[in-house]
Amino acid sequence: MKEIISLTRLFINESLGVSLFFYNQKYNKKAFYKQLFTLIIVPVALIPAFFMYVSVMTATYIGLSMINQSTVFLSIGYILATVLIIVFGVMYILSEFYFSDNMEELIPLPISQRKLIVAKFFSILVFEYIFAGLIFIPILIIYGVGQGMGPLYVLLSVFVFLTIPVLPLSLVTGVIMLIMQSASLKGRKDMLQIVFVFLGIAVIFGVQIWFTSQLGNGDEVDFQLLMNMMLTSNEGFLNVIGYVMPTSFLMAWALNKITLMSVVWVGALLAITFLSGALMVAIGERVYIKSIVSGKMIKKGKQLNSAQRSKALGKKSHRAMAVFTMDLRLLLRTPVYFFNNVSVVIIAPLCVLLSFYFIEIPPEDLQGMQDFFREMPILINYLLIAFFIFFGGTSATTATTFSREGKASWLTRMIPVTASDQIVGRTGVALLIQSLGIVFTIIAIQFFFPLALSTLVLTVILGIMGSLPILLFGLFMDMNRPLLNWDNPQKAIKNNMNVVITLFVGMAYTGLLVGVCGLLGYFVNPFLGYGLFMLISFGISIVFYKVISNRLEVEFLNFES
Amino acid sequence: MLKLEHISKTYGNKNEKAVDDVSFEVHPGEIFGFVGPNGAGKTTTIKMIVSLLAPNSGKITINGIDNQKDILGAKKQFSYVPDTPELFEKIKGIEYLKFMADVFQVPIAERRERIEKYLDIFEIKNAVNDPIGSFSHGMKQKLALVGALIHDPQVFILDEPMVGLDPKASFELKKIMRDHCARGRSVFFSTHVLDVAEKICDRIAIIKKGKIIEVGTMAEIREKAGSQESLENIFLELTE
Repeated sequence: MKEIISLTRLFINESLGVSLFFYNQKYNKKAFYKQLFTLIIVPVALIPAFFMYVSVMTATYIGLSMINQSTVFLSIGYILATVLIIVFGVMYILSEFYFSDNMEELIPLPISQRKLIVAKFFSILVFEYIFAGLIFIPILIIYGVGQGMGPLYVLLSVFVFLTIPVLPLSLVTGVIMLIMQSASLKGRKDMLQIVFVFLGIAVIFGVQIWFTSQLGNGDEVDFQLLMNMMLTSNEGFLNVIGYVMPTSFLMAWALNKITLMSVVWVGALLAITFLSGALMVAIGERVYIKSIVSGKMIKKGKQLNSAQRSKALGKKSHRAMAVFTMDLRLLLRTPVYFFNNVSVVIIAPLCVLLSFYFIEIPPEDLQGMQDFFREMPILINYLLIAFFIFFGGTSATTATTFSREGKASWLTRMIPVTASDQIVGRTGVALLIQSLGIVFTIIAIQFFFPLALSTLVLTVILGIMGSLPILLFGLFMDMNRPLLNWDNPQKAIKNNMNVVITLFVGMAYTGLLVGVCGLLGYFVNPFLGYGLFMLISFGISIVFYKVISNRLEVEFLNFES
Repeated sequence: MLKLEHISKTYGNKNEKAVDDVSFEVHPGEIFGFVGPNGAGKTTTIKMIVSLLAPNSGKITINGIDNQKDILGAKKQFSYVPDTPELFEKIKGIEYLKFMADVFQVPIAERRERIEKYLDIFEIKNAVNDPIGSFSHGMKQKLALVGALIHDPQVFILDEPMVGLDPKASFELKKIMRDHCARGRSVFFSTHVLDVAEKICDRIAIIKKGKIIEVGTMAEIREKAGSQESLENIFLELTE
């Protein structure tokens, strides 16, 4: 057990960078304050969202009590927590078990496979308990207070809470281990990770579509009626998920009403949880190390002859083009980067398309909307512009451009490429991704809402121009505070505050720009609004371009200090 | 060709200098060895030469270009291979070489000729279409060497180049270093393999705790040390 605890501490230390944090406190104050800032700002930023969640859940409980269905409140919370743990846990599992470099050092040590697997699993659990606590503890408290529960409820709740992340995570880990084993052997690890992530999104999306279809044809829907329908219908959401997750029934039987049987049900829940953990360990012991070792076997390319090599070396490219190509290749071939930076341009237009498809708008209403927008072209223009800027602002492509290179960034800093070429190459990648998103969106919209060519040209130009300052701001941020010291690429994105800062600044800027120019266009003159939009976007872009051009070479020298 | 004048560098703790008032010069046509114990300041010095770190004081000129005043101009004069070449794992070897040829703007004919030549020498022709992530440490080192030699640099800078190379590749690299210098260019490299330094270097600098404690040819170092012993023995005496 001692070994497992010390390994777990090691993994947590590694993923949080605890030792580095204290080292920086002594020897690198600048890095230390950056980490401290992140440590404070992230929880603080989440406080409003948490209180909003607690309020929504309290309202849900009150709503359910009014229709005498308060007993399903715990089930809703349990299912919500479980689904979220699975969705977010998949990336953690892949990251900790398969994309962390520490296994190469640990495999040769005299530590049993079982201990390694358990310690890795525990290190994920620590984070998932925090996450599950934020989701499920308010549910337990709201229900307990609402029902006037006593100490036994509190005690049993603690046990139920302890089982919450273990069961779904151990089952998902077991399944991932089995799939990764066969995938690793064939050198398809990267592709599989992308598939996993898209499957996760498909599940979330499927649930949303299901909800949307339940809402009917756009009439105002009473929340209580919807809940009622969900709960009472034989094919209701909770029942369906309940059958998939039978432990939710055990939890509900145990806590909805405290009796002597509650202890039995909690005991059963603990036993099932323990068994699922044991099953995961048993699967891991058979396949994990084997798949890790063979997982290093990356799929190889075909051997090239001299003529093919000459062809592959191709024509001489401009330096900016070389930077562009390299950045794009890294983005497309690294699953985490692909998902975080590229997938939004596929998912967002798909959301638009499916929203139109599933929310059945009667033809007369659609005609009415089209007429309304024809009379108010400025509204649809700015809506589209804001949507197109969204692709630039949310992709975080430039905000992580140097961070994504990690320890290989020495190459970028050593080569004789001008700052202008770096800016053009790296911003070009972001613009390409944004353009794809724009094209997909236009295609999706055209099905339901044919737009005039002039509208398309105007909104595309302004959408791209409007996003340029955000892209350059992202580049500016990553130039100043790149995250290079990571052991798996997920950290370059997920642990990178540049992404969050660029997102918030980008959203605020877009809102302000679109708002001010839209109002000017509506009340004074549309062309004045568009003119001001272009002027501001162009002006800010030039300022950022100049600042980055002047500073990049010098900042490269500070990347390691 | 490469000149360091009073270079100093401190990291977090301002009182501890990682590199302290280092000065030396590498002449055209010279192989210059840089030796010292672990943590002596070799890599920090090299990183300052190749513009990965800024010195706190002092001046570095490469082929007459000040690397702090004209960073880009200086970068065109050298190529660098670090001790553990971290390369882009998802990129194929051939794509990496094309990238290097493009950023150094090497003409088509020359890039093809040099790449063929060095791929042959280092025996990685068959692996060049594979992702770099599938390469062994030694193969990555070889690929980084080929990438560094594509533009035929004025100064070839290497940090511990022999680590990870097989004996044949080590032998070939030494030959390449000699050929490079024979054409009037320079090689500057750090090493722990004192035997190699003694055999192939025209001049050697020994660094200890950030300070240069000896610079010169082997004969000059022996004379100063008052000993006819090997570099290894002299090094151990000087660095104890």
